[in-house]
Amino acid sequence: MKRNGIILVLCLSVTACSQQPVIDAAMMRFEGAMPADFGGSWERNYALDDDVNAVLREAYYRISQTSADQRYSVRPGTAIASSKDMSSVLALARLAEMITRPDVLTISQNAYEISVARKDDFAMTCAFYDGVAKGIDSVYGTEICGWDGEQLVSNLILPDGLQVTHRFTISADGEQLRVVTTVSSSTSRIPFTLRRFYTRFDRPTSFFNCIETLSMKRVCSTGEIEP
Amino acid sequence: MSAFVAPRRSLLVLQALILLTALSQQRVADARDLDALDVSIAVFDPGVPADASVHRDLQVFPRIREIEARLLPFVLRDTLGKANAWGAVRVVPEPDIAAELLVSGTIIRSDGESLELEIRAVDASGRVWLDKTFAGPHGSRQLYDDIAQDLLITRDGLDDKFLADIAEISLLRYANQLAPSAFGDYLNTAADGTFTVQRLPANNDPMLDRIERIRGTEYVITDTVDERFQQLHGEIASIYDLWREYRAKVIKYQIQDARRAQSTRSDAPRGSYEALLILYENYKSDRIIAQEQDRLAVAFNNEVGPKVDAMELRVAELEGWVDQKYAEWHRLLEELFEAETTFGQ
Repeated sequence: MKRNGIILVLCLSVTACSQQPVIDAAMMRFEGAMPADFGGSWERNYALDDDVNAVLREAYYRISQTSADQRYSVRPGTAIASSKDMSSVLALARLAEMITRPDVLTISQNAYEISVARKDDFAMTCAFYDGVAKGIDSVYGTEICGWDGEQLVSNLILPDGLQVTHRFTISADGEQLRVVTTVSSSTSRIPFTLRRFYTRFDRPTSFFNCIETLSMKRVCSTGEIEP
Repeated sequence: MSAFVAPRRSLLVLQALILLTALSQQRVADARDLDALDVSIAVFDPGVPADASVHRDLQVFPRIREIEARLLPFVLRDTLGKANAWGAVRVVPEPDIAAELLVSGTIIRSDGESLELEIRAVDASGRVWLDKTFAGPHGSRQLYDDIAQDLLITRDGLDDKFLADIAEISLLRYANQLAPSAFGDYLNTAADGTFTVQRLPANNDPMLDRIERIRGTEYVITDTVDERFQQLHGEIASIYDLWREYRAKVIKYQIQDARRAQSTRSDAPRGSYEALLILYENYKSDRIIAQEQDRLAVAFNNEVGPKVDAMELRVAELEGWVDQKYAEWHRLLEELFEAETTFGQ
């Protein structure tokens, strides 16, 4: 908690905080098995989630505490955020809310890859070859993952200084999942962070065994299907 | 006395039969069209980089490349077969260095739209006929026609003596592999690795006769393996065509998506939600297309994989049988040569 506080102070004091690398070289490698297993189906626990409006109000307050623009001051000695700062952080909040909207995550994990499937979005992918993270590069952005202890950190770097970072933490009993999503941009003085919580659930076992094929699409059988 | 004469008569009959067979084989050899060299096409090298971490970037699907490496030689085989300019054209699981003409290939690029193959053809004498990269639209026969054309041009540039030597060298190299004691000094090897005939065995050399019969047996097995490949080709060709179509569509989508991304660079103010959303959506769309392609690759493998595995198992059994027999033939021939050359000494 204290560490988070220090980071927050540092972020507020450095304008280009959002441009700092989220995943350093040490985080990009691990030895042996992956530090944590996130595999399974997860459904959203809305009761524990952050309230977007509350987090946004907090963000406005933080901006106001550091704002150099005193024009919008409502009372002597108190600064409030400029409209530009407010709209910048509001944009980040809206994007964070949109990205974290899926109510179910399906995570598949093997020895070298973790894939987080989300409805109406691309599957977030973390690939590690020989324990070294391998990013995904495209003309539109770069996706890279790393481990911070037992936390899986995914960082998506997009043009114009836009970054989306997800930090996955699993509870000790393996039944709860916390995903902390931070959206930052070079256009906003502060990043915006939302926490989402998920509970593990077992998908009902189907009477049918199905596989995808190319010529017949999905093929199902009540017996065994050899892939 | 009579007990001695009877076996001797039957031995004479047997020798006569062998002589007749040898003579008929000689006639077949004499009548053989020198231009019509036998061609062995080895299963291609899939061209999959060893570093698995680059496969995604290079759009290489290793399992599908392995399947392509087995399928594509058949298209070349059909092309050479239809040209009616060659002897037997076979697809072989492993490169046969004693083949009269060995064609090997590496898949450099294979997506739904284009195909790039590195083709090397070497005759039994070690002369390189072709070492070239061929590229063309995937699914078009032109690329294979070009390879066939280049092979024909090279062959037409060689004289009859050279072509006859290739056939001789091929047989002698095969013989040398099986019975090095008997056939170790018929060929000269130059510094550049090419072979020339130093001397020829006698026409009625019994060892050579045995070698030819063994080679005939091995060809029967090779043809069986070839049939298996052909059968596999027939079973999965239509599914493979579907895969190629899908890959071509993916490439089209990517191009369209790039255009869409270009055109949606809106006038939204920098840092606004609309501007941020466009940046995110561009990446999202690109990833969804790539992930759909991954899903199709899995679907292709789900459908084709079991067939390929079954074929590989059968081919491995046949190859295992050949390897076992080969070792046996090798031992027997060496023993026979020893017995025949030391008899009476």
